[in-house]
Amino acid sequence: MIKSTEKTFLLFLLLISVGFVAHAYAAAPPLTMQIFSSSSLSGTAGDFVTVQGQIMNTGSKPLGDVTTYLSLMDNQNKLPVDLEDWSAEKGLYIGTIDAGQTLPLNWKIHFVKAGTYSLIMIAEAAGYDSPQVSSITQFNVSPKRNLNPKQVLPVALGTPIVLIFIVFLLAYRRRVEE
Amino acid sequence: MFTHIWKKEIRGELYTWKSMLWLVIASLLFSFTSYLLLTNQELSLLDQTELLWLLGKIMIGVALLIVTIDASSILNVEFEKETAESLFLSPISLRDLILGKLFASLTLWAAIFVISIPYIVVTSAGSHLAWAFMGYVALLGTLGVVGLVFLIFGISLLYRSSKNTITTALIILLAFATPALFTSTLKNDIVSQTFSAINPIDNIFNSLDNVLVDYKTSLLDNWQFLLPLIVFCVVAFLFLFLSAKRFTKQGIIKND
Amino acid sequence: MPDIISAENLKKSYGGNIAVDKLNLHIKKGEFFGFLGPNGAGKTTTIRMITGILKPDYGTIMIDGHASSEKQKIAQTIGVIPESRGFYDWMTAIEYLGFFADLYGITGKEKEKRIASLLSEVDLTKRKHSRIGTYSRGMRQRLGLARALINNPQILFLDEPTLGLDPQGQEDIQSLLKKLNAKGVTVFLSSHLLNEVANLCSRIGIINNGKLVAEGTVSELQEKTKLKDKNLTDIFLHLTRNNQ
Repeated sequence: MIKSTEKTFLLFLLLISVGFVAHAYAAAPPLTMQIFSSSSLSGTAGDFVTVQGQIMNTGSKPLGDVTTYLSLMDNQNKLPVDLEDWSAEKGLYIGTIDAGQTLPLNWKIHFVKAGTYSLIMIAEAAGYDSPQVSSITQFNVSPKRNLNPKQVLPVALGTPIVLIFIVFLLAYRRRVEE
Repeated sequence: MFTHIWKKEIRGELYTWKSMLWLVIASLLFSFTSYLLLTNQELSLLDQTELLWLLGKIMIGVALLIVTIDASSILNVEFEKETAESLFLSPISLRDLILGKLFASLTLWAAIFVISIPYIVVTSAGSHLAWAFMGYVALLGTLGVVGLVFLIFGISLLYRSSKNTITTALIILLAFATPALFTSTLKNDIVSQTFSAINPIDNIFNSLDNVLVDYKTSLLDNWQFLLPLIVFCVVAFLFLFLSAKRFTKQGIIKND
Repeated sequence: MPDIISAENLKKSYGGNIAVDKLNLHIKKGEFFGFLGPNGAGKTTTIRMITGILKPDYGTIMIDGHASSEKQKIAQTIGVIPESRGFYDWMTAIEYLGFFADLYGITGKEKEKRIASLLSEVDLTKRKHSRIGTYSRGMRQRLGLARALINNPQILFLDEPTLGLDPQGQEDIQSLLKKLNAKGVTVFLSSHLLNEVANLCSRIGIINNGKLVAEGTVSELQEKTKLKDKNLTDIFLHLTRNNQ
């Protein structure tokens, strides 16, 4: 027969366990994300680069329905960047990641506009309300300096100049005729 | 006989600078547009095919606008400057006059097309679409210009006034052009779809889309767009024919 | 001698107003015919009907044996200084006459020769390379006459050819017209200048309110109006005032 004090203690332990379990499910999943290519990320507007990283399950249990996302912030304008033009792959679905397992992450992104940016990875898993975020990686995108794409300048400048020259030639010829 | 009128018009356009100024403005527009589009393409914000489609629309749009302004006054100016009576006392007929002036308007379009060729070549480099682009701009532009000029000449003969003709012609051009700017959602109802099917500018733009974006370059693939354009030319010609008959009945000097 | 111009029962109205009413005109080849009338009498309307610019409501017209519907043949036969005197201001005189020579099918050396000759006749040789936009009114009148003569017409229709010219200019045009008439060109002259008509014309027609009120030589008109010692001005005023 269990005495009343023992009953109370067991109830207390039960409540604390429930509390821990509840807390565990409100927390972010036990994942660590890292970007490898932070130093080589900088480039020029128009470049296509691959962001390489990895995700590791630091917990003791497998995690299911894991999806990772990139998030980009424009540091100069202090605005989030709409990734529509920057990356075709906004989310990478991993599925299940076992405890202690490390998996690679690769995103192809397109440097659309010059500036300085902050990049983070976000991961979410089934059963967790909050996502896990990586540390911030900063990089620069230099402006594109090509003023003459596809050799358009000779045509863009030359054609009107030739026409203007023809106008003056006609005017001169007319004056001479008169 | 009409060739003398044609030659006179060309010389007049060259020596009065009117057309030359328009050609310079057109080429500046093409320069600005192609430079802007190509720098955007460098950032791959724009596919090359989409770039060509945009440029093609601008080229034909600018040409239609310039030809509209030119054609609106080219006939009436003879009456307004009081040179018509001397002309009609000579052996030329109204048919010769209209034909000569029509060819003058077409020559203006041809000049705009020739100016656009270097831009077409440079923007379509590497796309294997240069010839298709050039060919369809020529074909679609010519059909659009011919139909529009027939229509405007018919209006000219009815109004006998450059001011009224140009106002009406620009309103008609605007009426054709505005729906082409609508999004696909707005074009979904039956009224919009019907208008789009007969609207010459919609057919020109849709055909360019078909050729440049969807790579359907054969005439057969574009027949659904070319046929309405041909019908437009025929209907406009009939309108001109009837206007000319009415004009002849009224006489060069209108009964007041 | 057959009629070179024959107009029968010509009628033209604008809206409800009758501009020309049952007009009959017969002009012989080689005549210098003067056509007089006050403003709004129907002179210009008559000339326009005869030259084919205006379609009559009623009546028939024959020019040198050709019906008015044979436009091409009539155009080759006549030369006209019309009432509306527009020019292509950007053209030079040579270009202008060259353009009309082309319309009449005159080409090559013949074209060059004729242009040079006409410019000399109207005294515009020195300004042949100048734009018409820089011409005075008198120079434009002379150029208009040169254009009317480009096809060597058999009949010349002139609607106020000396309007706005100084006396010297008028004299020059009149002597040119006399010369042409002497060569056999039939001249149909519409003018307000009664002295001019009296000096040049062998026969005169006077129109008033759309009707031909008198026709004949000056003596015949004097006889008809019983104004034997009066000049053409008096006859004209008598006929046009009485018929109002």
